[in-house]
Amino acid sequence: MTDATTPLPAAESVRRTALPRPLVFGAAILAASIMVAIFPTAFAPYDPNAFDYGALLHGPSLAHPFGTDNFGRDVLSRVIHAYTIDMQIAIFATIFPFLIGTVIGALVGYAGGIAETLFGRVVDAVITFPFLVLVIAIVSVLGPGLVNMYIAVGVVGWVFYARIIAAEVKVQKRLDYADAGRAMGYTHLRIIFGHLLPNAITPAIVYWMTDMALAILLGSSLGYLGLGAQPPAAEWGVQIADGKNFMATAWWISVFPGLAIVLTGLGFSLTGDGLAELLRTKR
Amino acid sequence: MNASAPALEVRNLTTTFGGGRLTAVNDVSFTVRAGEVLGLVGESGSGKSVTLRSIMRLVPASGSVSGYVYWQGRDILTMSGADLRGVRGGQISMIFQEPMTALNPVLPVFTQIEENLKAHTGLDRAGRAARARDLMDLVGIPDAARRLKEYPHQFSGGMRQRVMIAIALASNPKLLLADEPTTALDVTIQDQILKLILDLRDELSMSVVLVTHDLGVVAATCDRMAVMYAGRIVETGTVAEVFAQPNHAYTRGLLGSVPHAGTERSMLLSIEGTPPPLDRIPTGCAFNPRCEFATEPCRARVPELEEIAPARRIACFNREAVAAAGSPV
Repeated sequence: MTDATTPLPAAESVRRTALPRPLVFGAAILAASIMVAIFPTAFAPYDPNAFDYGALLHGPSLAHPFGTDNFGRDVLSRVIHAYTIDMQIAIFATIFPFLIGTVIGALVGYAGGIAETLFGRVVDAVITFPFLVLVIAIVSVLGPGLVNMYIAVGVVGWVFYARIIAAEVKVQKRLDYADAGRAMGYTHLRIIFGHLLPNAITPAIVYWMTDMALAILLGSSLGYLGLGAQPPAAEWGVQIADGKNFMATAWWISVFPGLAIVLTGLGFSLTGDGLAELLRTKR
Repeated sequence: MNASAPALEVRNLTTTFGGGRLTAVNDVSFTVRAGEVLGLVGESGSGKSVTLRSIMRLVPASGSVSGYVYWQGRDILTMSGADLRGVRGGQISMIFQEPMTALNPVLPVFTQIEENLKAHTGLDRAGRAARARDLMDLVGIPDAARRLKEYPHQFSGGMRQRVMIAIALASNPKLLLADEPTTALDVTIQDQILKLILDLRDELSMSVVLVTHDLGVVAATCDRMAVMYAGRIVETGTVAEVFAQPNHAYTRGLLGSVPHAGTERSMLLSIEGTPPPLDRIPTGCAFNPRCEFATEPCRARVPELEEIAPARRIACFNREAVAAAGSPV
């Protein structure tokens, strides 16, 4: 470790160009999804809520590539407009757990002792309940709707982030550079958030990507159960629920929103995998 | 500054772990004068590093420290947290053995130097950037502007130790605590780093406490030395005095185990046995089971650290016999 004070230019350029392939695919899917979510009207051929009694339960055709539902609404347009709600769910249902969990986890991991013991009990209590059951319970108390769903997911979901971050910070705080920070007279908060967290946050970011995929599934599940987005809003879970009575005769009402869920989930998962690979090799 | 005034005075420093069962540092007292380099020498596990960390109150929570560490008239061990943060990194800085792990792997070097400047100086952003470049020049890292943007993994071991020193010196400390700063580096780089520390000592008129197990390093860099064994200081004096006439059998054994250039080749001597683990320190003088000069009192009582000449202290019942045996150097 004594020679090569500067990395060879060739090695550097190799590292620059070699973006993990999952990241490229995942980011491409997400970028497209976000575009669609922001400008749905630019992509949707019809108004998603316009009834057309002349075209009830039509199968996929040139006029309606994804068919129409039992009110004659264009399924493609509804799937496209649902991006706006479902991408919001992916972000808002996860960003608060991510932020809250990161802060609490970093503090708990650094403090150790009683704080850590108490935190351990809270984690035990939360993970003992199935996640969905707990969220459904909270939503049914607060009432259905997206904001209440965010609250419910936030109340439960931070625990998972906090647990990841606490474990990482616990490892990092024993390393020499943490001691070096103390030896330089930095405050605890500065050491935690300025020095330890940048080293500890990678797994939480990777989990966050996966969690966004799970949030879309959860949002759809709650929509399907009537506890999330409310009809007639275009949301994939709601659409799948709408189509369930026509599954045998008009499969397209449920299947296309389902595929949209799969595709978006894949985008998040690939991005998470790719990020994990990228950040791991960077160390 | 008055060269004889003690800058740091450590008195009766004792550090225990496991609720007092294990004593890692036992009643250690020494002073460091302004501009002086003090070598703290001993085998692994003799308590050198814990002494250094105790001075800075950096021992883990399971340890407890007693005694006094006077820095400019104030006791570091009883200082408030805010005062302590001002001393740490501002007036007293510390560098570590492993430059690989003592730097934060995910932050660029500039950010890490800047952290110290933010904590201890009132410089604005432009001032901090200029100071960081000056520091890189000071510690001999070429192409400062570009290298400041790089990450620790892009530096070699020797260069990382230079970065560590640059961070430590950012706020012009008056005392540098160096915990085996060259142990992890290879020999040619060791030499450069030690020379750098000495140059900086002259340039910035700071004191240095250098912890090392390498007597060659002590001979090359230190003004005075303190030899530690099993948590106690057993001999102190100027490097010249101690090398010329060791008065403690352990010091004599250490000196005998170092190879010498320029003389006829001879067998290297080693000290029989190993240092005792903390939970099994022998009664009496801790060194007595390994000591060729040991007599009855050595096994019964702990020898006091006696001052036989100004700033020359020895803790040995048989120091005349050891001194008469002569220096192996």
